[in-house]
Amino acid sequence: MGTKIIAIKSFLPDLLVTNEELSQEFGKWEPEKIENKLGIKQRHISSDVQTAGDLAYGAAEKILADYDRSKVDMLILCTQSPDYFLPTTACVLQSRLGLKNEIAAFDFNLGCSGYIYGLAIAKSFINSGMANVVLLITSETYSKHIHPKDLANKTIFGDGATATILEHSTDEKILNFVLGTDGRGKDNLIVRNGGFRHPFDSKAEEVITESNDIYTDNHLFMNGPEIFNFTIEAVPIAVDQCLNKNNLTMEEIDFVIFHQANKFMIDYLRKKIKIPSEKFYANMLYTGNTVSSTIPIALEDALINKQIKTGDKVLLCGFGVGYSWGATIVIV
Amino acid sequence: MKKEDFVNELADYCEFGKDGLSLNTPLKDIEGYDSLAVMSMIAFIDENFSQKFTALQIKDLSDFNSIIKLIGEEQFNND
Repeated sequence: MGTKIIAIKSFLPDLLVTNEELSQEFGKWEPEKIENKLGIKQRHISSDVQTAGDLAYGAAEKILADYDRSKVDMLILCTQSPDYFLPTTACVLQSRLGLKNEIAAFDFNLGCSGYIYGLAIAKSFINSGMANVVLLITSETYSKHIHPKDLANKTIFGDGATATILEHSTDEKILNFVLGTDGRGKDNLIVRNGGFRHPFDSKAEEVITESNDIYTDNHLFMNGPEIFNFTIEAVPIAVDQCLNKNNLTMEEIDFVIFHQANKFMIDYLRKKIKIPSEKFYANMLYTGNTVSSTIPIALEDALINKQIKTGDKVLLCGFGVGYSWGATIVIV
Repeated sequence: MKKEDFVNELADYCEFGKDGLSLNTPLKDIEGYDSLAVMSMIAFIDENFSQKFTALQIKDLSDFNSIIKLIGEEQFNND
């Protein structure tokens, strides 16, 4: 009894923001500096009327074009920018996609670790016999959370969605997981206002950061140094624990895909963990950091570009807002 | 590591122009001392000294001497 990934598709909105545009608007970082340091050349941004539900729909329709949608009996959607407080975006999507009613559908709220958790949820439901086919969607429009004058976050984040179909398999293709949480880091990556703890405040004060970026408590705030500290501490441990839990060594892993936070960060992690560059994925050039979608976008890209082939063991690790992290190994 | 070498190596790592940099150069006067450089500085200090600075500590840094003080003077050769 096991679970396997059948297909992955991504969907990116049409609007593009290039480094040149950001450089021109803010007059601060040269386009080349952004590309060299962060590994990002452009990012896709949702339009004013385009929601995470719309991007999710785009990704789902792409994958269901080649898959019998009547077989899907579970829909899970990872987002932190849902269409509504309620109902859950997955329920709206079930109807919009014309999926059957005998289906479980729900959202879960995680960021950059979300795809790993989605795989864990899908595997749990399939291996327990509660579902046969799971449609796992990741979809984010972080651009809507970002203050228009916040260059750092506008530079890093892009919008996008992915859809993954997982099926029951005789052999297990999704190996053991390491999942972790440290809520003490909650204030370091947060949209503080807008829920019921701190309602949206139309008069929220603008805060100017050390780097002259602007945000309010209604917008995304990221404490870059603390997030970097968390990452370089948590990720090497998670990778080590994941290998141990699966009785594997790094030498036995064919390819490694981390959450594509930014080029500098993941290059540093690669060197710190001593992962050979030839089996490490680093490419966010045309998408930026798409939060929970970076890992499936990378998997799809690595499959298309034949960086990974059928039967390869691929170590995946997601980490970020929460703090939350997770790692697993999939056999593609 | 000598303190002067530390200034040069950190400047290299963070991609600052090294001209005119000294232990007393105010960080805010360095072109390129921004959030991207801070990320590099954290990596450099983790790699070379296995230490982590908090965001608040970083905010209070004034010059290279203040970075050395935070790392610990004992880590450096003073000759």
